[in-house]
Amino acid sequence: MSSRLSSRLLTLKSNGEKAMGIFLTSGFPSPEATDLLLGAIDEGGADFIELGMPHSDPLAEGLPIQYSSTCALKAGITMQGTLEIAAQFRQRSETPLLLMGYVNPILRFGAAKFCEHAAAAGVDGLIIPDLPPQEAALMRVHMQKYGLNLVFLVAPNTPDERMKEIDRLSDGFVYCVTITGLTGTGLAGRLDAINSYLKHASDMITYNPLLVGFGIQTHDDACNLSKHTDGFIVGSAVIREVERVWACPGLSMAERGQRVARFVRSLKYGPEK
Amino acid sequence: MGKTRIIAETGAGQHGVATATVAACFGLQCVVYMGAEDTERQALNVARMQLLGAEVRPVTSGSQTLKDATNEAIRDWVSNPTDTFYIIGSVVGPHPYPMMVRSFHTVIGEEVKQQLKRVAGKGFPDALVACVGGGSNAIGLFYPFINHPEVQMFGVEAAGEGLDRRHAATLTQGAIGVLHGAMSYLLQDSDGQIELAHSISAGLDYPGVGPEHAWLKDIGRVSYLTETDKNALVGVELLSRTEGIIPALETAHAIAALKKIVPQVAADATIVVNCSGRGDKDMQTIMDNL
Repeated sequence: MSSRLSSRLLTLKSNGEKAMGIFLTSGFPSPEATDLLLGAIDEGGADFIELGMPHSDPLAEGLPIQYSSTCALKAGITMQGTLEIAAQFRQRSETPLLLMGYVNPILRFGAAKFCEHAAAAGVDGLIIPDLPPQEAALMRVHMQKYGLNLVFLVAPNTPDERMKEIDRLSDGFVYCVTITGLTGTGLAGRLDAINSYLKHASDMITYNPLLVGFGIQTHDDACNLSKHTDGFIVGSAVIREVERVWACPGLSMAERGQRVARFVRSLKYGPEK
Repeated sequence: MGKTRIIAETGAGQHGVATATVAACFGLQCVVYMGAEDTERQALNVARMQLLGAEVRPVTSGSQTLKDATNEAIRDWVSNPTDTFYIIGSVVGPHPYPMMVRSFHTVIGEEVKQQLKRVAGKGFPDALVACVGGGSNAIGLFYPFINHPEVQMFGVEAAGEGLDRRHAATLTQGAIGVLHGAMSYLLQDSDGQIELAHSISAGLDYPGVGPEHAWLKDIGRVSYLTETDKNALVGVELLSRTEGIIPALETAHAIAALKKIVPQVAADATIVVNCSGRGDKDMQTIMDNL
C-alpha cells in the first residue's frame, strides 16, 4: 500500500473526502492535445487520471469512447506515443496516473517490456478490462516486479465469491462498474438499484478501496453513487465535453484547457455559482 | 435458462438465418448483428431473416463486416445478460463457446462417416478439405477424425486479393493475439490493432480464427492453404458444371484448393470436401465478378 495511488486514496479517505478519477483517451482529439488536456484535468482537481490506450476493437466502450479511440488512432497515436505522453506528464505532476487498455496491444508490445516501460514513464497502474483475473497470473508477476498496481473490475452480476477473489487479486482499488453494460450508458432511474449493489459490494470488498464508474455524468451522479464507495470515475462525459469544447469556434488552446478544467472541477464540487 | 431474447452475429447470413429460424420456432425475440457491407452483398439472407421475424441491425463501425458485427453482439450481450442468450456463429469468442460450437458442428464429421460407409464402404476418408473463416464447418468436419493420423486434413483460408494485398488468411499470415475473448492468430499491426480483413466471401472475411485451429496448425495436424477471390470464382464454376451444385463463395475456396491437394495424396485417395453452404445467396456477387 505504498504506491502513489494507494497513498493518495488513503489520504483522501482519512480526510473524509471522495476520490475523483478522470478518464481521457490518449491521442484524442490529437496526440498534441493530450498533453494539454492532462494538465487541465490535473488542474481541475482529478485525484488520479486514467489514460486510455486506444484500441481498434474496444469491446467495453459505448459510443463516446469508441469514437475518441477511432479518432486517436487516425491521428496516429501509438502505444509508444502514449508512454511518452505519460512520461511528460509525470515530469510536471505527482498525480497518480493509470493506463487503461485492452490486452492485445499490451501483449503485442510484450507484457514484461510494457510493464517496464510504463513504470519507467512514471505510470502507477493498469486497468485491463478484457483481462480476466484467472488469466492474469503472468501479468501480475510483471506488474509486481515493476511496482505497478493492477485494478480489476466487478459488475452487478459478479457473484460474491468472485468479488472476494477479485478483491484479493487487485491492488490500488477495485473498479465497481455501475451497470451490466458499456461506458457512457445513462443511469436515469437506476440509482437506487445501483446503490444497493454498491452497498453490497462494499461489504464484500474489504482489502481495497472501491471506486465506481460507467455512466457518471454530473456532480449529482457522483454524489449519489459515492455514498458506499471511496470515490468515482468519469470518462465518457469528459470525452463529450472535450468534443464540445473543440467544436467551439475561436477558442485558443489555453482557453480550451481552461474549459475542460472547469468541467472537471464541476464534477467534483458542483457547477460554479 | 429463462431467456426471452436471442442475439447473433452473422457474416454471410447463414448463421443469422439459422438463428432466426430457431427463434421463430420457439417464439423468442431475435436480433442479428450484421456488418453494413455484408447486409448489401448478402441481401437475400437479410430478407430471409426479416421474413422469419428477426431484426437485422446493420453495423457501420470499423470494416462493417463480421468482426464488427461480433463486437456489437458482444456489447449487446454484456448490456443484457439477464434476458438474452448469445448464439455465436463460429468456433470463436470466449470459452466455452469454441468448444460448444465445435460440439454442435461435429454432426458434419459424423455424417461423413455414415455417408462414406454407404458410398465407399469404409469409415474413414484419406483426406478432408474445408474452408476456414472462423472455422466452424472445418472443425465440425475434422473433429471426429483428429485422433486418426492416417486422415490428412486441409483448411483453406481466403487469400482475398492476394497475400501481399488485402486478405483474410489469419493462420497463414497472422500473429498470436487476443480478440473477442480468445487467444489465437490474428491479422494485426505492429501496435496490436486489428487489421481489416478482406474476402469476396462474407463468411471468411474475419481477421481472427477459432483457437482450436491455431492449436491444430501449431501441432502440424492440419495443413492450412489459401485461395484468392479469383480462384474461388473458378471453384464456383467448377463445382456448378461438374456436379450441378452451385456452392457458396466460402465453400468455393475449398473446391479451388483441390488443385493443390490432389497431387499431395495417393491417386486412389478418397477426399471429402465439405460443401458448407449453397451459392444462392452469392448470385449477385458471382454475376458481378464472373
